[in-house]
Amino acid sequence: MDFELFKKAAVDEAQKLGLTEYELYCETMADRTAEGFGHELRSFSDSTTGGVSFRCSVDGHLGSAATQDMTEAAARQLVRQAVENGRFLESDDKAVFAPAGGAYAPCPERTVPAPDTADLVKTVLSCQEALYAADPLTRDGCESSVTAFERTVAIVNSNGVDLSQKVSGCMAFAVSVLQQGEELEDNYEIASGPLAEMDIRALAKKAAAGARAKLGADVASTGTCPVVFSPKAMRSLLGVYFSVFSADNARKGMSRLMDKEGQVIAAETVTLVDDPFYKDAAFPCAFDGEGSPTYTKNIIEKGVLKTLLFDLKTAAALGRTTTGNGARRGYDSPVAIMPTNLYLAPGTLTEDELLEKAGNGVYIDFLGGLHAGADPISGDFSLQSGGFVIENGKKTRPVKSFTVAGNFYDLLKNVAALSDKVDMPASGSSISIGSPAVLLEAMSIAGK
Amino acid sequence: MVSRSLCQEVLSRAMSTGADFAEIFCQNTAVHAVSLVSKKVDSISDSTICGAGIRVFKGLRSVTASTVDMSRAGLLRCAASAAAALGEGNEQREINLRERILPNPHGTAVVPGSAGNGPRTYLVRKAAEAAYAVSPGIVQVRAGLGDWDRRILVANSEGLYARDRQIRTRLFCTAIAEKNGETQSGSANVGRLMGLEIFDQYDPAEIGRQAAEQAVVMASAGYCPAGVMPVAIGNGFGGVIFHEACGHSLEASSVAIGMSEFSGKLGQVIANEKVTAIDDGTIPGAWGSITMDDEGTPSRKNVLIEKGVLKGYMIDRMGSRRMGMEPTGSARREDYTYTTTSRMTNTYIAAGEDRAEDIIASMDLGLYAKSMGGGSVNPATGQFNFAVSEGYIVRNGRICEPVRGASLVGRGSEVIMKIDMVSSDLELGAGNCGSSSGSVPVNVGQPLIRVSSITVGGR
Repeated sequence: MDFELFKKAAVDEAQKLGLTEYELYCETMADRTAEGFGHELRSFSDSTTGGVSFRCSVDGHLGSAATQDMTEAAARQLVRQAVENGRFLESDDKAVFAPAGGAYAPCPERTVPAPDTADLVKTVLSCQEALYAADPLTRDGCESSVTAFERTVAIVNSNGVDLSQKVSGCMAFAVSVLQQGEELEDNYEIASGPLAEMDIRALAKKAAAGARAKLGADVASTGTCPVVFSPKAMRSLLGVYFSVFSADNARKGMSRLMDKEGQVIAAETVTLVDDPFYKDAAFPCAFDGEGSPTYTKNIIEKGVLKTLLFDLKTAAALGRTTTGNGARRGYDSPVAIMPTNLYLAPGTLTEDELLEKAGNGVYIDFLGGLHAGADPISGDFSLQSGGFVIENGKKTRPVKSFTVAGNFYDLLKNVAALSDKVDMPASGSSISIGSPAVLLEAMSIAGK
Repeated sequence: MVSRSLCQEVLSRAMSTGADFAEIFCQNTAVHAVSLVSKKVDSISDSTICGAGIRVFKGLRSVTASTVDMSRAGLLRCAASAAAALGEGNEQREINLRERILPNPHGTAVVPGSAGNGPRTYLVRKAAEAAYAVSPGIVQVRAGLGDWDRRILVANSEGLYARDRQIRTRLFCTAIAEKNGETQSGSANVGRLMGLEIFDQYDPAEIGRQAAEQAVVMASAGYCPAGVMPVAIGNGFGGVIFHEACGHSLEASSVAIGMSEFSGKLGQVIANEKVTAIDDGTIPGAWGSITMDDEGTPSRKNVLIEKGVLKGYMIDRMGSRRMGMEPTGSARREDYTYTTTSRMTNTYIAAGEDRAEDIIASMDLGLYAKSMGGGSVNPATGQFNFAVSEGYIVRNGRICEPVRGASLVGRGSEVIMKIDMVSSDLELGAGNCGSSSGSVPVNVGQPLIRVSSITVGGR
C-alpha cells in the first residue's frame, strides 16, 4: 500500500473541489498467528490489512468516507464521497481539525523484533505441551495461539499536522480444558511482550490452575451479600461503562454525568485514571485519532468527577478543550470519545485482607454477556457470573451459573475498598483497562 | 473481480508446497450508514472493504493468508506466503476453473447505493419522528439506516469459480425515556437481505414507535425479582435463547473437536419433544440468508433437532474433514481477513401447537420476557446468558407489571429439555452474531415458548 501516492491524489482532488479543511487518517495492521491444537500446529494465518479515511469540512459540517482500495481513482472517489456525505448533515456540530504545533509528550517505544514463522510455531507447540503437562485432568480441546503484530497509524491534515506511529508486539493465548467425570471446565489466559521473554510454561500453568479451581462448582444462593469483583471481572465491567464518561454521550442524554463535574459521584476510595502512557499498556500513543496530544488525567479523584472526556467536536460544542480522547477503533470507524488506557487506582489492602473485610459473600471472577446484560444508558446490569464463595474471610468453594445485578452509578458509590495491585493485562484492542480487586458492600445474587 | 485465469494461477502457486486443497475468497463490500440524533442527521459514513483471503489445507492443517493488495503481484505474494507456511517444494499444479451460476432467490429491486443520501435520510427521519411522537417522556432518539452491498468470489482447487452479491438493509431505532431522573431505553429494528424495497413492507415509523413504546414502559418498571421461575419467552428475537443455549453448540467449530455438549449425540434425544429446530439459509430475502456460503457451498435448509432428537450439525469444509460429514452451506466470515468457520444463518424453533394464551395462563408466578436483548455461551460447558429488554411479571396466569434489569442464565442442554410449551406464532428477528470468524448477520426466531424453570437474574 503506497500511502504517499494515495495522499497526493486525495489532496489534489480536495484542492480541485475547493476544500480548505481536511484530514487523512491511515492505518495498517499486519498479523501472523500460529494456532496449536492437540500436539500439532492446527493453522497459521498471515494477514495484512488497513485502509484510509478522509474527513473534510463541507460548509462547516464534517463529511467523511473510508476505503481499503488504494488506487488513485479510489482516492479521488473517496474525497468526492466525503463531500457528498457532508452535504446532507444537519447536526449543529462544527467540523474541527487539530491545529499544528500541539504539545506532544514523548511516547515510550513499543516495538519488538519480528519473530520468524518457525519461532511462532515452536512457541505454540511448546504451549500445547505445557497445557497437557500442567494438570492430569487435562483433556483434548486445549488450544493456544501465538501472534506477532505490527500496527501503524498516520494522520495528516490541512493545518499542517503530520504524525505517525508504529507499534509491534507479540501475544500468546492459552485455553486449558479439564474434565472430571462428566464435568468440563475451561479457562483462558493471555500473555504479551517480546516472544523471547514470554514465560509460556507459566501461562499454561495459570490457564490450567484457573480451570482446576472452577471444577466442582455449585450454583450460588439467591440473596444480597458483600461481593468482591476480581480485577478481571471489574475490568470487563469498566469495558462497558467507560462510555458514561464521554462528554458526547452526556450531552446527548446517554450518560447521567452531564453537569456533574466537580461533584461527588463515587465513594472516596475511587480514583479513576486515563493514562495514555501507562506502563503495561499495549498501545501507548502521544496523539489521538484526530491528532490531538494525549495526556494523563484523573477522571474521578477520591470520588469527585474531575472531568468528562472530550474530542475536538464535543469540546467546541460545549466551549471546552479536547482531552485528547478522540479515538478511532479502526480506519473506517468514526471518531468517538474513549479513554486511552483506563484504570482504577489501587487501594491499600492486600487481596487477602480485602476478602477478610468482606467476611461472608461471593468473589466474582467471571462476568459474561456484557454486550447484552449491561445497559450503558441506564447503568443497570444483570450478568452471568462465576467465582467462589467467601466464607469467614477466605475464598472457598467454586460457584457458577448465577447472576449479579446492580447499577453502575450505584456501584461507584458503594466501593468499600480496593486491593493494592492493579492488573492490566495485554489486550488486542488499542484500549487497555486495569483494575485491582474491588469490594462492594451489598450486591444482588440470583442462583438457586 | 479477479479473473478466472488469475485465480488459476494463484491457486496453483498456493498449492506448490504440497497442499491438498486451495481456495481464494475475494470481497468488495460497500457499507453505507446514516444516523440521526435529536432529529438531525448526525453522521453519514461510507466504507469500502476490499481484499482477498487465500487458504490451503493439508489434511487437518490449514494456513490462511490475506491481503488488501488485489493486484496480480499482490495475490501471488499472498499465495506464496500461505504455501511457505505450509511446507517446502515447488510443485506445478494445473487448476481448471469453471464458473458455476446459482439461481438467486433474493432479488434486489432497489439497490441502496443507487438511491443516494436523500431517500436514505428520509427513511431514518420517519422512524425518529414517530418515536418522538409516542410520548413527551421520550428525551432522546437515535435512528439509523445501514446498507451493505457485498460482492464475493470463491474459487478453489476442485474447479469451483462462483460469484455472489448480497445486498442487506437494516433500519434501527433506540429511544430513551426519562422518568424521575432515571433513563431507560427501548430499541427496535428491521433487517433483510433486500434493498430499499424492504420499506414497501415495513413502515419505518413502526420501528420508531416500537422503540419508543418499549422505552416508556421500561421507564416505569421496577426491578425484576431474582430466583428460579417459569419464563414465557416472546416470539421473534426471543429465539436468541435457542441461538445461545443450543445453536452455537451445534456448530462444527465446537462439535468437530469434541468441545460441545452435543458432540457425538446424533440420533439421541437432546431436547424436549416439543422442540423442532431448523437452520435455513434459503429463506428468500431473510436477513441471515445466503445464496452460497463463503466457501461457495450452496445454502440449504438444515434440520438440527426434530421433535427433540438431534438430526444434524452446521458444518464448514474443515469441520467436514474432521467429522467425515458433508458441508452444510454454513461456512461464513465477516470479511476476507477472518478464517471461515461454521456459523448459523436463520435459526429458529419451528411452530408448535400450544396456544399463546394457554402458555401465559399456565404460569402461577413467573416472567414473560416479551422482548430479548443478546446473549453469549461457552459451548464447552453449555453455560449461557441472555438479557431481557422488556419483561413483565406473570401472576395467576395474567400478565402484570413491567420489570427491568433481568437476565436469564443456565446450561443449554438442561434448558432445551425444559422448553415444554411451544405456540404457533413463529416470527424471525434480525441480529448480528459474533464469533471467531467475526460478526455475521443472522436471524433468530421462534413462536412464544415456555421454559418450565430457569434462573432469572434480578434484584
